[in-house]
Amino acid sequence: MRDPHIPANLFARMVTKNGIDPAKGLGWGTFLSGFVPGLLQFQLGQKSRAGLAFVSCTALFFVGWMIVGERLFYWALSAPDDKGGLINGIARFGFVTLPEVINMPANAIGSFFAFDSSPTGLREQREPRDLEHIAAWATGASGMLAAFWAAQAHWDLRLRRDASHIAEGQQPVASPALVAGLSWLVPGLGHAKAGQKDKGVIMGLAVVIVFALGLVFSGGHAVDRGQYQVWWIGQNLFGGGSLFASLVTGPMQNNGAQLDLDLGIVLCTVAGLMNLVVMCDAYTVAERSLFPLPAGAKPETSEANA
Amino acid sequence: MSLLFRIAVYLPVLFLIAIVVVGQQHTTASDTIRAATQRTVRWTVWTLVLVVLMTAADYFVIGW
Repeated sequence: MRDPHIPANLFARMVTKNGIDPAKGLGWGTFLSGFVPGLLQFQLGQKSRAGLAFVSCTALFFVGWMIVGERLFYWALSAPDDKGGLINGIARFGFVTLPEVINMPANAIGSFFAFDSSPTGLREQREPRDLEHIAAWATGASGMLAAFWAAQAHWDLRLRRDASHIAEGQQPVASPALVAGLSWLVPGLGHAKAGQKDKGVIMGLAVVIVFALGLVFSGGHAVDRGQYQVWWIGQNLFGGGSLFASLVTGPMQNNGAQLDLDLGIVLCTVAGLMNLVVMCDAYTVAERSLFPLPAGAKPETSEANA
Repeated sequence: MSLLFRIAVYLPVLFLIAIVVVGQQHTTASDTIRAATQRTVRWTVWTLVLVVLMTAADYFVIGW
């Protein structure tokens, strides 16, 4: 049975001015503030939470940065060199390094201090180093963590803005940002937390199976930031999978025996993109428990969805 | 053999992708699986259409 809370023409319903308008954003200022971990929480008056957001993102980044340093530039969408130019200048501050750029202050400072335009510095960007797999995951995870902190603050701002639409005493089944973060680590866990356990299990299994197939077909070498850096950006959307790969399969010796490396890389990236959908859906499930669609519909509850 | 192997991988993966895609519109696992099965069949038909069209384009533009 189709979810009765979802109208046939979702977009048309979203721009309707009757009742809650979930399509209405919080503005560019709020969006851009999300790139500084803790800034939105600080503006909300949540000072201890702001400190925690800033410290957690910064610490996670620099733990990895101490190992990888300038190698982060080699994994960026555009590696800077000693020439000038706008993109080169932007790249020197790490603004084209994904997903670290979401944790902007730490990434910009780390990039500024790591960059060396001399031939030695440029060579070191290309030089693999010990423990770089897990270190690369840590710097990437700092960006994802910053995104989840920003999502949490956006949710709090939304609650403040749309408080008049919420019945007194009504609470969401879970924090949307928390369930999205849980889904990033373990696909489907966010749905379970939000009350849709069985749906979470099959959606999570779907992501994990595709990711596992990718690793099997590639002999475990599909997820390797040092070699397939652009693909890794997509693969890292399944944080638990990329963590596993960085700890177990990434450091394995590549003897060149795997025959379906291309297939494996694509499957692991598809799994990451699938998990992006799972994360967004988990967020939406929690969000709709307080702001149902269409306006006036009965909110979803854990009992109804389990 | 390689083509057969990839087709054998393609269909199950298509079903798994369908689960995630249609799962957004359902609240229970059974509904999701039922809808994903239908969606997989539809996508498979479209895949066949695409393959036939590309083969035809191959034949007419490049030659056999």
